[in-house]
Amino acid sequence: MSDALATVEQTALRSGPIAAGAGRRILRSPFLLVGLVGVTVIAAAAAFAPLIAPDDPTAQNLANILAPPIWVEGGTTDHLLGTDVLGRDVASRILYGARNSLFVAFSAMLLGSSLGLITGLLAGFFGGRVDSILMRLGDVQLAFPFILLAIAILGVVAARPAWLLIVVLGIPGWIVYARVVRSRVLAEKEKDYVAAAAAMGAGPWRRLFRYVFPSVWQVVPVIALLDVGFLIIMESTLSFLGLGLPPPAATWGGILADGRRNMVVSQWLPILPGLAIVVTVLSINLVGDGLAAVFDSRHIHRGLRRPFSSSVPSASPVDTDSEALLSVRGLHVEFPLPGATVKAVRGVDFDLAAGETLGVVGESGSGKSVTASAVIGLLDPPGRITNGAVLFGGEDLARFSDRRMTTLRGRQIAMIFQNPAVSLNPVLTIGFQLREAIRHVTGADRHTVRHTARQVLVAVGIEDPDRISRQYPFQLSGGMNQRVMIAMVLAARPRLLLADEPTTALDTTTQAQILNRLVELTEAEQISLVLITHDIALVSEYADRMLVLYAGEVCEFGPVRQVISQPRHPYTRALLESVPRVEDPAERLQVIPGELPDPRRDRVGCPFADRCPHVMDICREVTPPRYDIAPGHIAACYLWASEPAEAVAT
Amino acid sequence: MRGRVLLIRLGQMVLVVLAVVTIAFFVLRLATGDPARLVNPPGTPEEIITQTRERIGTDKPVAIQYVDYLWNAAQGDLGTSFRGAQSVANAVFGALPNTLSLAGITIVISATLAVALGALAAWRPGSILDRGVLVWVALAQATPAFWLAVLLVLIFSLNLRWFPAIDMAGWRSFVLPVTTLVVTLSPILIRTSRQSFIETLREDYIKAARARGLPSWRVFAVHGVKAASLPLVTLIGLQLGFLLAGAVVVEAIFNWPGIGKLILDSLASRDFPMIQGGILVAAVVFVVLNFVVDMLYAVLDPRVGAARA
Repeated sequence: MSDALATVEQTALRSGPIAAGAGRRILRSPFLLVGLVGVTVIAAAAAFAPLIAPDDPTAQNLANILAPPIWVEGGTTDHLLGTDVLGRDVASRILYGARNSLFVAFSAMLLGSSLGLITGLLAGFFGGRVDSILMRLGDVQLAFPFILLAIAILGVVAARPAWLLIVVLGIPGWIVYARVVRSRVLAEKEKDYVAAAAAMGAGPWRRLFRYVFPSVWQVVPVIALLDVGFLIIMESTLSFLGLGLPPPAATWGGILADGRRNMVVSQWLPILPGLAIVVTVLSINLVGDGLAAVFDSRHIHRGLRRPFSSSVPSASPVDTDSEALLSVRGLHVEFPLPGATVKAVRGVDFDLAAGETLGVVGESGSGKSVTASAVIGLLDPPGRITNGAVLFGGEDLARFSDRRMTTLRGRQIAMIFQNPAVSLNPVLTIGFQLREAIRHVTGADRHTVRHTARQVLVAVGIEDPDRISRQYPFQLSGGMNQRVMIAMVLAARPRLLLADEPTTALDTTTQAQILNRLVELTEAEQISLVLITHDIALVSEYADRMLVLYAGEVCEFGPVRQVISQPRHPYTRALLESVPRVEDPAERLQVIPGELPDPRRDRVGCPFADRCPHVMDICREVTPPRYDIAPGHIAACYLWASEPAEAVAT
Repeated sequence: MRGRVLLIRLGQMVLVVLAVVTIAFFVLRLATGDPARLVNPPGTPEEIITQTRERIGTDKPVAIQYVDYLWNAAQGDLGTSFRGAQSVANAVFGALPNTLSLAGITIVISATLAVALGALAAWRPGSILDRGVLVWVALAQATPAFWLAVLLVLIFSLNLRWFPAIDMAGWRSFVLPVTTLVVTLSPILIRTSRQSFIETLREDYIKAARARGLPSWRVFAVHGVKAASLPLVTLIGLQLGFLLAGAVVVEAIFNWPGIGKLILDSLASRDFPMIQGGILVAAVVFVVLNFVVDMLYAVLDPRVGAARA
């Protein structure tokens, strides 16, 4: 309904409870500090106006009307900001104007916020009929600009006491508070501790005020602050229209209206009170926005650009498998977040030959997806490669500019993602996106592109390509969308395809179809495939080699058959044991006890040490080197230090 | 949109208008006492007041007056002005296009500005450009329309003499009122647009589009803009009321013959039928425009369109 309020509603909904380090962030935010100083000064001026004001704001002196302010020729120290058309001191009137404006705006805010807080609590907590009646009322309220009605009411009443102004300005604000509070209550009342309180016999009112209220009220002050800014503007607008506090009370809008009538003679007269309003509202908004940002838990900047720059340390000399299409060497990826840096990938190495399929396995947080994103140069900001090399056809992609990467993406390296439903733009048709991709990669003319599009759709098993082309992603099943994604890859015929859990979001029967189709295509086109999954069964079926990652580090790497039949790293074994066997579904699944180590911490020793059944003292002290188990098969575990195979530290 | 949904929606629209008209009718009557006394100067003899009462129809009970008013309004008759014999409907519908043209131009310019500046700011969040846009938004948000209008008149009419200070005559007279309204409307649109772009650019389909090798500008311009501008459509709908309120002030300052000025002038002369008519038409226009905005959204966003189809 109002400018500021709609913004606030969005911000307040996002802000969580006061985050740790909020105090420090307040001090570090210059805008917020400026705002705080401004608000303090203005509030003090309003509160102490009778003490500071040089004159009585209503004392007329018709002998000295429209005197200029001190910096204009003819100005005197008697009236620093000059006098108005009745000879009243402008400085004093602006000070008293602050007092009146702030009083009305603040009271109206208190009225609106109390109403909104109460209705929001009730609507959210009790739901049902109470909720629907209150929210319908809110809809009507939002469906019409009540300020028009306010203007009408204030315009016809015989007298306009301050309370009427407060009521008319304050009441329409309730809905903003009510909606935000309601949604907060809805989220809060479902939480365990509230349910626990109910189980222990706490009645609804007690639960509402003892448990829900304390974690909900925090959203109110931020809204209230911005509401006051908005109300000051509204109050001034009404005063300007002659519908505010009746004369001779000094109001900013009133002074401005007087000034406007005399602006041909004294141009500063309308300027000064306007400045007072702008400075006041700006200070209040700065504080409100600043606090909302401090409370906002998602305080992370992200952008489109690959934030990766020239700051990559020079790569250590790397020995590469000359036959490999892709060689990753010592890859480190970090996400510098406020407060801590997440080290997601810590020294990953692997090779992938042309036409080969590599299975990358590991639980969530093992760095599988981050590694793939690093290869194609699409790390989510603020992620960056801090060390290592990504050698593709002999060139180090980690050192490529984003522009140069763009020429490789799609044509040479392609990627398909876990959730096909969100990998396609929801507001563009399938056909548009497919043709766009094909046109971009092949540069062909419109007709050829159309033809190719139809062809690749048929090739991935879509029987009715023309109809599918006209549809939007949300109209298709997950399996269909993933087929479309694969069709795009097929049209581009890249040398390397990164498939990040391509079937996790699909149902089991579709999974097999899609994967079979994918592997057929990559084999037919000699495309190297990196298949990222947490499903070892898929890897054993489709991959040639297998890379086991844990907490951003390599545990084991080798030919699939060998790794599966003779897993050498305890983590690989644990993963294999956690796979349900078709032959014996009744067998209890092995669950790996413990959790991943904190990705923000530097660590010494083996990352798996805390969960490893074979842990030794050395595991916690020195990071295990990678031992060659057999040609092309390595495992980073001390268990193999004494084996016949010679220990080689990498 | 299916017939049933449409019908419910139309019913809601009628209800909102009815609610507004009812509140306006009773509040105006109850807050002010006898209109016959208000339209006559104090000290007018009782017989004249009685005559006035009969002339303007306020001798009947308020409930009857209310039903009569609704009945007539439903047939397009909004009554006659208390002052003179002017038809309220004629006056209101004569003023309406002037307000709508002002609001229409403002919306088009503000929306364009919002998409452009929001996109620029979101392209590199935290950059100088982004900060510049945010400072501008904060300043514009803190500036009251009436002050800006007065400043513009002071600078561009009184001192530079580029544009007329008052009245509607030719395209030049649009410049200052529209500028004022754009500065009032655009901050929230720019903010929302910026936020929407930032959120859209985090979506997986943006990353997927880049993985297909599309250049950044194309990802931004084709895949980002359409999805990111959708929230603006809804927001403009929500801001119409605010725009209407802004128009009242702007029309007062620039002596613009629109609905806002009509209501303000009628307030000064306590011309109830005129006030009432102005509010009624404003409510209808507001509700209809909101409906148009919703329809537009359904057309632009295939997901919504399909859900309703």
